[in-house]
Amino acid sequence: MTAAKGFFTDTTLCIGCKACEVACKQWNRLPDDGFTFTGMSYDNTVHLGASTWRHVAFVERPVALNNQDAGAFSWLFSSDVCKHCARAGCLESCPTGAIIRTEFDSVYVQPDVCNGCGYCVVNCPFGVIDRREDDGRAWKCTLCYDRLRADMQPACAKACPTESIQFGNVDDLRHKARARVEKLHRNGLTEAYLYGADKQSQPGTEGLNAFFLLLDRPEVYNLPPNPVVPTKTVKKAWTSMAFAALAMAGVAVASVLAQGESRS
Amino acid sequence: MSTEQVTIAGTEVLITARETEPALPAPGPTYYDQPVLKKPVWTMEIPLYYYVGGAAGASLVLGAAAQLDRSGELDGLVRRCHWAGIIGSTIAGGLLISDLGRPERFLNMLRVFRPTSPMNMGAWILSGAGPTAVTAGLLMTRPGFWGGIGDLFGFASGLFGMGLATYTGVLVANTAVPVWQKSGRILPILFGASAMASAGSIFDMLLENPRERRITYTFGTIGRVAELAAAVALERQAAQLPVVARPLKSGASGFLWKAATALTAASLITSLLPNRTRKKRLIAGVLGTAGSLALRFAVHEAGVASARDPRATFGPQRSSTASTALPQPDSTPLLSGR
Repeated sequence: MTAAKGFFTDTTLCIGCKACEVACKQWNRLPDDGFTFTGMSYDNTVHLGASTWRHVAFVERPVALNNQDAGAFSWLFSSDVCKHCARAGCLESCPTGAIIRTEFDSVYVQPDVCNGCGYCVVNCPFGVIDRREDDGRAWKCTLCYDRLRADMQPACAKACPTESIQFGNVDDLRHKARARVEKLHRNGLTEAYLYGADKQSQPGTEGLNAFFLLLDRPEVYNLPPNPVVPTKTVKKAWTSMAFAALAMAGVAVASVLAQGESRS
Repeated sequence: MSTEQVTIAGTEVLITARETEPALPAPGPTYYDQPVLKKPVWTMEIPLYYYVGGAAGASLVLGAAAQLDRSGELDGLVRRCHWAGIIGSTIAGGLLISDLGRPERFLNMLRVFRPTSPMNMGAWILSGAGPTAVTAGLLMTRPGFWGGIGDLFGFASGLFGMGLATYTGVLVANTAVPVWQKSGRILPILFGASAMASAGSIFDMLLENPRERRITYTFGTIGRVAELAAAVALERQAAQLPVVARPLKSGASGFLWKAATALTAASLITSLLPNRTRKKRLIAGVLGTAGSLALRFAVHEAGVASARDPRATFGPQRSSTASTALPQPDSTPLLSGR
């Protein structure tokens, strides 16, 4: 395996141009998912989904921000993407083994294996992966697996004009990100913090290979504050299942034995 | 009403804010009230599968238990239980396959053995239950060695039945959907009890032999009592976080949930009335079947509603301690939260 690759998305540099969305659609030849006007700021993409693997969130806040000159108002932009979690709910729940961990430590859905059971869809704590209705299979960001194999960086990072999306070795990106937070704090942007950068700050996923620098609570960007891979909390359900199965067998045997003698 | 003068992009504007915000179900911002999670893509085949698979599994368990009676008087019950298991698991398999996005690839379910995926475990359980019951049915009536092998397969089908009737509870619990995840401790018990009640209701309607009837009546009645008790326990557990429990109280899922309890209770009362005539047994069976079906659909619909509610996703995560490193929910007001 080569070094783990991933994204560091620095939302303080995002200008909301959506070049990442377009580049991703073009390179991966993703179908459109409707042309609707939502009225939600400049966000007409709304969600990540089976055909949308980058999504720029537009947040309008009645709060001043130190590096923006708009009075008691500020913009937050953030380009969301599959997090390629260290413990991936989609991968662990996939019953066919279609979802695998690649040599780049990314999480990849093999389209020739996926049978469209839909279980990964309810197992992603970020709501990233979805089933494409006309196609029947589950799809999500591949971290441009085909481009990485050819020593190119993912299309979104290549297209990003402000280096808000940075691609590289996850270890290097973590160092860069920490330095960036320190610099922002020194410049007075004390709200800056890293989301999902390591196991300590996000134990539920054991860290994300695509992590973020944010300026407000995760919920503001539609990110879960403390996501947990479902497999981590399910031991109690397996225990209950064992109890239920044994109790059922016990009741069945007791029912037979209690009526053991023919009364009629 | 209060007005506030603020400067937006160099222009002074008046923002009028209502004194009292519309009552939010839970505090904290969301992203334009958009859901965080994807809703389950499963259609009605899957809650139907929970019911059919459950009834088939519980029948196989009862069939294996009835094998323990060596008098030969229960051979008919064993056979009927096996038939219920075979027909049920065949229909169950059909339902699962038809819900796949790529049904022709259903066998891919068996290309790995993956304990972290309850769906994979379920695929193995389901593919064990039917064939073992068929083999048992073919061999059990034979004398000598082959009859003994048939008996063994009968017990094996009972073991698979135990799994088939309960694993769906883990399948549902092993998700990011808040109401399913938070009720994970109870769901397998609820589904197992409901499976017993389902099998009991089917036999209520079908069986004529008095001794067989007494056995399935005992099994089904305990199932109905356990189903009602587990439903109460699940609601209590979910109610620790009202935002998570909401789908069990309101909307289509809340209606189904209440209907399930009412129908199962009515079927229990009918079955407990003295002088169990054929008519009463039919009524109890129909009510019990409707109750178990409503329960499976209620759990499914509650999951859909829960996945659509961003506050159900955020709320429980904020109340857990691990997120204290993050900015706290009450730090700043937000436009996007309204």
